Amino acid sequence: MNRRNLLQSLSGVALASVLTPELAQAKAQLRHASGFDWRIGFADLDADLAPTAMRRISGHAPVDLAGSLYRNGPGKFHRPGGSVDHWFDGDGLMRAFRVAEGEATLAARFVDTPKRRTDIAANAVVTPGFGTAAKPGARVDSNDDTNGANISVLPVGNEVWALWEAGSPIALDAKTLETKGMKTLRPDLAHVPFLAHPRIDTNGDVWSLGMSSDKALVWRLARDGSLKSADLIDLPMASYIHDFTASERYLILILQPWVQDRMVLPFVDSLSWHPEKGTKVLVLDKNDLTQRRVFELPAFFAFHYGDAWEESDGTLRFDGCVSANPSFAINNGRNIMKGTWTPEPSPILTMFVLSPNGKARMDATKISAEFPRNNQRMAGSARRYTVHATGAGSDGPLFNGLATHDWKTGKSDAYDFGPSHLMEEAVFVPRPAGTAELDGWLLAPSVNLLARATELHVFDARRVVAGPICTWRADVVLPVSLHGAFVVA
Amino acid sequence: MTLRPNEPAPLLKSILLLGAVFSLLMVAPVTLAAEAPTGTLTVTFEGLKTKTGAVMLSLADSPESYDGKAPASGQAMVPATSDTVSQTFKGLVPGHYAIKAFHDVNGDGKMGSNPFGMPTEPFAFSNNAHGAMGPAKWEAASFEVKAGDNTHTIAID
Repeated sequence: MNRRNLLQSLSGVALASVLTPELAQAKAQLRHASGFDWRIGFADLDADLAPTAMRRISGHAPVDLAGSLYRNGPGKFHRPGGSVDHWFDGDGLMRAFRVAEGEATLAARFVDTPKRRTDIAANAVVTPGFGTAAKPGARVDSNDDTNGANISVLPVGNEVWALWEAGSPIALDAKTLETKGMKTLRPDLAHVPFLAHPRIDTNGDVWSLGMSSDKALVWRLARDGSLKSADLIDLPMASYIHDFTASERYLILILQPWVQDRMVLPFVDSLSWHPEKGTKVLVLDKNDLTQRRVFELPAFFAFHYGDAWEESDGTLRFDGCVSANPSFAINNGRNIMKGTWTPEPSPILTMFVLSPNGKARMDATKISAEFPRNNQRMAGSARRYTVHATGAGSDGPLFNGLATHDWKTGKSDAYDFGPSHLMEEAVFVPRPAGTAELDGWLLAPSVNLLARATELHVFDARRVVAGPICTWRADVVLPVSLHGAFVVA
Repeated sequence: MTLRPNEPAPLLKSILLLGAVFSLLMVAPVTLAAEAPTGTLTVTFEGLKTKTGAVMLSLADSPESYDGKAPASGQAMVPATSDTVSQTFKGLVPGHYAIKAFHDVNGDGKMGSNPFGMPTEPFAFSNNAHGAMGPAKWEAASFEVKAGDNTHTIAID
């Protein structure tokens, strides 16, 4: 796809979903009056939640589904003396949905970070963050003193690591969710960032990046969390990177033109959108990081990508959820904390194609999509499906449904809960005996705005349209989470 | 601002400067008027997690000295033999002082930093003062030394 087509496809979505401010306000008021107040999903959880039985409200759980779904996301935003200014700056809240013998429990515990300790002692959010400025009383000896530990989770043995993107992983006990401490993978690499979206090879190797302007440290860990290598590389340009992708052989870094070019507070305000720079895609050989190729694409913004794969002729493919610019991160991430929302187009599910001749292109669908996931057993190998959240509400944040997209037929298998639910990221859980790509379940929580409850849904990944085959409910609202991982019991 | 490692780190510069001062092994002589009463200061560092290397500290008697723009009143390298170690400075002119210190865990004489310039070895300031994206300020770290015996305790690590 050329730049014009991309922009046309994005603006088509924009036209379809744009409302006049008056109409948007009227609809918002109507939903508020109906009980569909999205703000419920962004309210504070004030204290840890001890393990609590969830009530099964529909269907039956598959007998062979057993394990723990760990999920992370910001969970505490307000304090008497001052609050965060951006959704991404809430305190990391680790949740564990544990499923066994047809029953489910839910527990949640805040990550005990230096930031949280400082803010509790100050009775105000004083620690700077992604979109929150420092206030008097901030104690910042290193970037890890601002670590929110609030984006995602990496299970490692009997620990789960709470991941941020500009600091160290923080280890929690997998059973109790008690914080054990910061992970320093090598003494001379203390505080080097570790992105929240590691890629995991089928052999268990874990890849992540530590970003710093136009340099990156490439982390390679064994599946037990021990460090195998850490190499510093130069990038073709500085870029805000939230996620990257990998095929079996290559790491693929997508350098979008959102660039830190000034020293102002908070961090998000130091980034400038430079569409004229375009996007550079850096492809590195995992076994020799000096072997590199750079592809060019038009400017776009994306938080998230799916795993990549290589075709027999050397073509690399991966999927992503693409927006025209970083307006969510800049504007609506702040608006949410004020209880407001400016309508903006949903990200669009897009296939990226990097050809052996050095050309790159983007094939956009017309499908609203975020939080792309896929069968982890196929990481780095050719695959047919993408699992994603879908159905962005036009007058509120996030999504109302989920879907699997079939890249072969172009068809989407989707289920929409409607405006009463804020749908969270779905994680694919393979059936223990299953080998086919979609032979398994999708596990996804939602915030039920009508019931004011957190629900956990199980879908048959091959028949999403049929709706959940099992739903449990806890009569407590946990703020919407960002990313999760399932550990088989 | 998230303190991202690519940003200029005044803290690091300050600490590295401290390391550089040590590497030159220059201790400014303290000149005293013989008849004036002087103070003795015993600085104790507690909470050392590793018993390797040494605590390197620099004692300043003015904001200029504290910021590295004037010689230090005293410096010391205190072997980290225990979780609590001390150093005594004698003959100090009564007045206000402040301390910058780091635990040189690997004993290379330098403040360690990661590839992006963030300190990797523990550091601390007098009054247990903390900075916000930089070293603690003189106003926060300075304390009074009176004639006679004085003690000051700093948590490090």
